[in-house]
Amino acid sequence: MGKPLKQIAIYGKGGIGKSTTTSNLSAALSLMGFKVMQFGCDPKSDSTNTLRDGSYIPTVLDTLREKSGLDAHDVIHRGFNGVYCVEAGGPAPGVGCAGRGIITAVELFRHQRIFEELDLDYVIYDVLGDVVCGGFAVPIREGIAKHVFTVSSADFMSVYAANNLFRGILKYSRSGGALLGGVIANSVSGGYSKEIISDFTNRTKTRIVEYAPRSITVTQCELRGKTVVEGAPESEQAQIYMSLAEKIAAHEVSEIPAPLGVTELREWASGWSEKLLQRVEGNVSPGEAI
Amino acid sequence: MSEIIDRPRYACALGGALFTLRALPRTAPIIHASAGCGYSLYGALSAGAGYLGGGYCGGAAWSSTNVVEREIVFGGEERLEEQIRATIELMDADLYVVVTGCMVEMIGDDAAAAAAVFRDAEAPVLAIPTPSFKGDSYAGYDMALSGLFRGFTRLGAEKRKDTVNLLGLVPGQDAFYKGNLTELKRLLEQLGLRVNTFFGEGETLDNLRNASEASLNLVLSDRYGIKAAQVFEEIHGVPYRVLPFPIGAAQTADFLRAAAEAAGVGTAAASALIYREEDRYYDYLERIADIYNDIDLQRYAIVAGDVNYAPSVSRFISDELGWIPKLTVITDQLNAEETAKVQSRFSGWESGVYPLIKFDPDTSAVQRYFPLAWPQSANERYYDSFSPAVVIGSALERDFALQYSLPLLTVSFPVTNRIVLNQSYAGYNGGLSLASDLITLLMSWR
Repeated sequence: MGKPLKQIAIYGKGGIGKSTTTSNLSAALSLMGFKVMQFGCDPKSDSTNTLRDGSYIPTVLDTLREKSGLDAHDVIHRGFNGVYCVEAGGPAPGVGCAGRGIITAVELFRHQRIFEELDLDYVIYDVLGDVVCGGFAVPIREGIAKHVFTVSSADFMSVYAANNLFRGILKYSRSGGALLGGVIANSVSGGYSKEIISDFTNRTKTRIVEYAPRSITVTQCELRGKTVVEGAPESEQAQIYMSLAEKIAAHEVSEIPAPLGVTELREWASGWSEKLLQRVEGNVSPGEAI
Repeated sequence: MSEIIDRPRYACALGGALFTLRALPRTAPIIHASAGCGYSLYGALSAGAGYLGGGYCGGAAWSSTNVVEREIVFGGEERLEEQIRATIELMDADLYVVVTGCMVEMIGDDAAAAAAVFRDAEAPVLAIPTPSFKGDSYAGYDMALSGLFRGFTRLGAEKRKDTVNLLGLVPGQDAFYKGNLTELKRLLEQLGLRVNTFFGEGETLDNLRNASEASLNLVLSDRYGIKAAQVFEEIHGVPYRVLPFPIGAAQTADFLRAAAEAAGVGTAAASALIYREEDRYYDYLERIADIYNDIDLQRYAIVAGDVNYAPSVSRFISDELGWIPKLTVITDQLNAEETAKVQSRFSGWESGVYPLIKFDPDTSAVQRYFPLAWPQSANERYYDSFSPAVVIGSALERDFALQYSLPLLTVSFPVTNRIVLNQSYAGYNGGLSLASDLITLLMSWR
């Protein structure tokens, strides 16, 4: 028996900074001496770009499209500090089934026992966050990832997506699926946005693992095709990702979240809308000042 | 939670569509589905339809895309296009119809777009979505017919007052569909009508192509063919009329009068035809008078079958043979409106003798409801046993019939214990067939 493999899935609404967070986490974990694979589960196939100087790699599904058999080694590419990069890929927009594509790609790696062969410490799945169908829930089903983290801002749409994910986790938790490690609050720089996301995590009985503020350093590094951890290792933002990596490395026990019901979530959101509106109008009750 | 159905008497929509196409002359279906759909449905439906067989370009020879995971992930439209091209090259047909299975519908394959690539082919290529999650084989019949009426039947035809289309008899699910259509067409033609049945003897695809010339669609079912008739009305502006599926003299007389009135040919023509036909019918039927008395005279009957057969066979038993129908189980899954409609068929019978009527798709339902129709023995000194009796249903009634040592005649799907060729149970000839089959069964049972 080798060392225990830790499989983690990171979900979040599209564009919320999920791939940025995941890539920085992979880079940080690798700097801590772990053997890491980042597995992009998004038909956009750009999850691992910043680990590879901004370059795209052939995806599992693109390669499968060309030939029926596939050796998983052909689609594993090394990135920053030896991180193993894989992109599941997907069909052309509007045809086929992207969800089934994710299932196919993940199953292929499991069947070929690649994780064991590479003697990995971490496999991190970066998954399109809306969990629109069963395919996108594959990483959280039994026997794949054990811990799920969700990247969310204080934006309501992002919170909705997180809540949907919690519903998925709750469902699969009854059959041995992954549990929730917590929320990585992204682009949250304090003030009301911090309050909103904290309130949401309190209500859904989960916790915030790390706050990552909006940062120009991230943009600068990404434009150069790099993670912050690689491109600006001394920056404050890089330290945040290193801290996140340490927390995740130390993380052992995940929990079952308590997602809000549809009406509950809407009421919660409209409650916050009213509060924010009052603040904009300066009509703030004592003790509620930002 | 969903309920299970104990041994359903139908396959899926794709199956119903395939058997509808199998019954069309010179038509090659192209199955866009996983490998196995076609052959499984062929096996299930052919045997249940009295060993109908694959027919032209059908059965084990059905063209199929046999999609695998690659097509599911990336979409199967290219594969379908390839299959259509190969089918046109290898199979000589006058009409190619793509029918789809569940998986390609779930991933949203556009079969119509693939078919449209061949719009300039010599023979038309249609695509009809027939995902099985949309219904059973009866629903598949309606999907297939609706698709053909939309895509194949010619638009803007000049109406002919004397032309009618006959719908509601589902090829395969009705093992006797061809014989039945032949008999009904024979009768309607004697009213001076031109009749398209699409699947009957001597018909060609022109009957379907020119079906829009009709002034009326007659739907001989309270469920099957109604949706297709509604599509026909919407596209081709032809109204439809629903009439019960007729078996024997009384029902066929009702049918001919109603059809003549609906088609506007006058009831005098119907009366004359009925007179002629009854003369012939009773000349034959009276032959059984002696043996009828000799084999216990009156029988109890249990009937199980679909919405076409169950009510009509029950009425035939009651009105024509003078037997006593005790229990009739209608085995379709029906909505409230359809149930009420079928229920209403159990009224106005000449005999006034009606069975206990139950609506239940479970095969075990017959067994379950039987004690309600007939008190079970409680070891009384004198128990009036359920005898003499007969069961008229499907091959699935075999266990029940054996348990009570009752003779069984199979008329409703699945009819796996008979070979069905040109036999019919519809109309006058069908009534004679049913009477002779029943009496033959009782005699051989002695």
